[in-house]
Amino acid sequence: MDAVAQAAQVRNGGISASELVDAAIARIEAVNPQLNAVIRDRFELARAEAASPDLPDGPFRGVPLLLKDLSCEVEGEPLYEGMQFLKDADYRGRHTDAIAQRFLDAGFVVVGRTNTPESGLLPTTEPESYGPTHNPWKLGYTPGGSSGGSAAAVASGMVAVAHANDGGGSIRIPASACGLVGLKPTRGRVPTGTDFNELSNFLIAEHVVTRTVRDTAALLDVTGAPRTNGATRAPTPARPFAAEVGQDPGRLRIGLLDHNPTDSSTIDAECVTAVHAAAALLESLGHIVEPSFPSPWADPEAMLRFSSVWATECAHVLDDWGEKVGRRITEPDVEPLTWRLAQMGHDVPAPQFMGTVVAAMSEARAAARWWRDADPSGFDLLLSPTLGEPPLPHGSFPSTPEQPLTGFIRAGDFVPFTTQANISGQPAISLPLHVSAAGLPVGIQLMAAFGREDLLIRVAAQLEAAAPWADRRPPVHA
Amino acid sequence: MTATTELAALDALGQAELVARGEVTPAELVEAAIARIDAVNPELNAVIHRLDGRARAQATGDVRGPFAGVPIVVKDLDGELAGAPLHLGNNLLKELDFQGTTNSYLFDKLQQAGFIIVGKTNTPEFGLQTTTEPHAYGATHNPWDVTRGPGGSSGGSAAAVAAGLVPLAHAGDGGGSIRIPASECGLFGLKPSRGRVSVGPQDGEVWNGLVARHAVTRSVRDSAAVLDAIAGAMPGDPYTAPPALGTYRDAAATDPGPLRIGLRTSALASMCEVEPECAAAAEAAAKTLESLGHKVEIASPPALDEAELVLTFLSVVGANALGLVEELGRMTGRTITADDVEPGTWALAESGRAVSGVQVLETLHAAHSWTRRVLSWWHDGGYDLLLTPTLAALPPQLGQLNPVDGDPMMATILQTPYAAFAAGFNVTGQPAASLPLQVSSAGLPIGVQLVAAHYREDLLFRVAGQLERAVPWADRRPTVWAG
Repeated sequence: MDAVAQAAQVRNGGISASELVDAAIARIEAVNPQLNAVIRDRFELARAEAASPDLPDGPFRGVPLLLKDLSCEVEGEPLYEGMQFLKDADYRGRHTDAIAQRFLDAGFVVVGRTNTPESGLLPTTEPESYGPTHNPWKLGYTPGGSSGGSAAAVASGMVAVAHANDGGGSIRIPASACGLVGLKPTRGRVPTGTDFNELSNFLIAEHVVTRTVRDTAALLDVTGAPRTNGATRAPTPARPFAAEVGQDPGRLRIGLLDHNPTDSSTIDAECVTAVHAAAALLESLGHIVEPSFPSPWADPEAMLRFSSVWATECAHVLDDWGEKVGRRITEPDVEPLTWRLAQMGHDVPAPQFMGTVVAAMSEARAAARWWRDADPSGFDLLLSPTLGEPPLPHGSFPSTPEQPLTGFIRAGDFVPFTTQANISGQPAISLPLHVSAAGLPVGIQLMAAFGREDLLIRVAAQLEAAAPWADRRPPVHA
Repeated sequence: MTATTELAALDALGQAELVARGEVTPAELVEAAIARIDAVNPELNAVIHRLDGRARAQATGDVRGPFAGVPIVVKDLDGELAGAPLHLGNNLLKELDFQGTTNSYLFDKLQQAGFIIVGKTNTPEFGLQTTTEPHAYGATHNPWDVTRGPGGSSGGSAAAVAAGLVPLAHAGDGGGSIRIPASECGLFGLKPSRGRVSVGPQDGEVWNGLVARHAVTRSVRDSAAVLDAIAGAMPGDPYTAPPALGTYRDAAATDPGPLRIGLRTSALASMCEVEPECAAAAEAAAKTLESLGHKVEIASPPALDEAELVLTFLSVVGANALGLVEELGRMTGRTITADDVEPGTWALAESGRAVSGVQVLETLHAAHSWTRRVLSWWHDGGYDLLLTPTLAALPPQLGQLNPVDGDPMMATILQTPYAAFAAGFNVTGQPAASLPLQVSSAGLPIGVQLVAAHYREDLLFRVAGQLERAVPWADRRPTVWAG
């Protein structure tokens, strides 16, 4: 049952919130030891909340949910973000982030927190503090990252949906690696935190990973509801996103990108196969698919330059944590990659940082010309593989004190298609359309113009109906 | 044809109406504006680039739109206008006679609305000052008292409109630069919400989102109708304000219901003293608002008294100034030295060299956290509007704020009273307007500022329209007037 079905059952009395939560707890207890997806449970609290008359009567009343252990702060509850020193300090949330509040107000019952790489920096989920999360499709393989714990938990059937966030692909990457639906919403659609707004961490989008398109859509009506505090910056949808499921998307013009846009590496043949099959499927549904992509993406220097922004963000995050825990964060406190990036970040002068952001905005502006909202003869969607490779074995993104950046640099070949949408703020979705010869999921990505999640949901639902994936089950499944 | 001088008193919609009724042609409107500029601009030095030929050619062509044929001027900053000089108040660009080659979305939209741009107006170098006295082009004079400045940075635009050269002018606001000159020249000046008007295609955001662009006008309805024409997302915008439900022009014609309004007459973070006449103007406006049925209380967001942010923000200002100097290098293909910019600009940019990227991020995060605290007064506190004086001081004597080659930090301190009420709302990104409700004992305009919650320009236009109908200012004339 997906979350929409579970919620309907609770509403019509077919099942109680307590029964749903107990069942989820049983599944987590059965499967999680193999996967290490859920790193902290709150089973007792969840049982009490499910049984309480105070459980909010929202659209997902009684549905069990897992939160990623990265942002989505809840007052009084642990938040470690994959970092050993926060685990040691047992850091507790000081407020409840807007996104967390929305989940709670919708009636979800939070049963635990899921694993994340330290500070969400890598497209895998192997933090030193909690150890690696396994891919339910093949133990010993990465579930992707940084929302890898959430994706492994949903893919293995522990829960129907789990919170995830995406600053460079971290919703779409694990969705691809675990065979799920993963939508990164438009910048400004979903509140990113109480302390911050869209401008201060403009790369990051919050949402969920799900098994069905309708869950992704219905959840977006929850996470992306227009705000009353005035921080909304994504265009308001004409109607609920849930209502887009099943609507005819019309005949779309879709650009096909089946190679690394910078040509800096070749992508795996399985990913090419996946995207070509998706292109054929889209054509069979009446869409026009032709090779094309926004030309500014071909600039091989763009991502390299942008790494200075990530480094600066990383340095800021460590400074910020230092302030919150009341001491300076030092080298032994964090993994070698985190330390090295923060060091690099501290060396970035303000003009370089701001210049890089300005340049990224100009490139995004230039890339925007490719889309139909800028040019009536432009494209509605961009189709690409989500990743450059199928899921890789654990240890593929190493970081040692001697060579702290090895895994980070290696990640560039794994994720050549996702970060562009974080920079431009556009929505993009990974759909589980392909399985590799080795039995591993390979997702395809569809990207739309700014604010056009409606179109992504329409075409994703159309693809889900044409090539359903609901019956595909990983070897590790509850 | 209506006489040139009578046209001067009409707002832009009034002039457009004459064109629509066939009583005057766009060419006649443009000729009349050119004649007024010829007659009056030498006293003011408001218009620094004449675009007579370009304007005449456009006026005789096919002009459409709600403002078809109405002549305006635009500030010599805020993006390119194809075929027009772009000097940004900088002497090097003046010497090179740097020209724009493309249109910004804003200037495109203004022309698509039917406006004919007859000139570009004076600005302090890169818009960095609250007065308009660039070394490159000299001081612009205030039409109410030519010994005084018109405010800045949109001082050339404000002086041109106040003196009746044109009915309205483009202006931009990164720290008060629409509202300050509107207050000093007796105009209506509304800074829109962050993300309301696209700053593309040249930029995604300007000054980390501090800058909002729009216009200075004599009538509220002109401001509203211009915003209707220029608002809206453009492809590639990094974020955008949610669209208004109706038109702003309709809002300007519709009284709001009873509002809950907080009055504050002390400067944000107590950063300076407030001249009694400025405080009194806001208090008088409070009485007027009460007489219109609104509830006014002495109240304001407690976060406006936090002082730390002001200091941290100066580092970001320095870093942005350095960015401007580097941009000047890219525009001209030269290595920029201290001789290429004003001493104050150079010193500010130099201060930016010591700033790190992490400091910028920290400041932005602190700013956005502060924004949430400020906005909770509107959203949780239940207030609709904040009422303040626009300025803490009356229009200054020319030379008073910007001692030539003086200590740039001293210039910053001297200009504090002019930014003290305005700049905070560039940080929050809220819409805020200056209304020309008062005149000082010496006959100088005094504006009052109304600030609304994010994206509530509609509410500002409603209450501004109501105030304009209750205490009209259209007939007030400055000493220097083109009519």
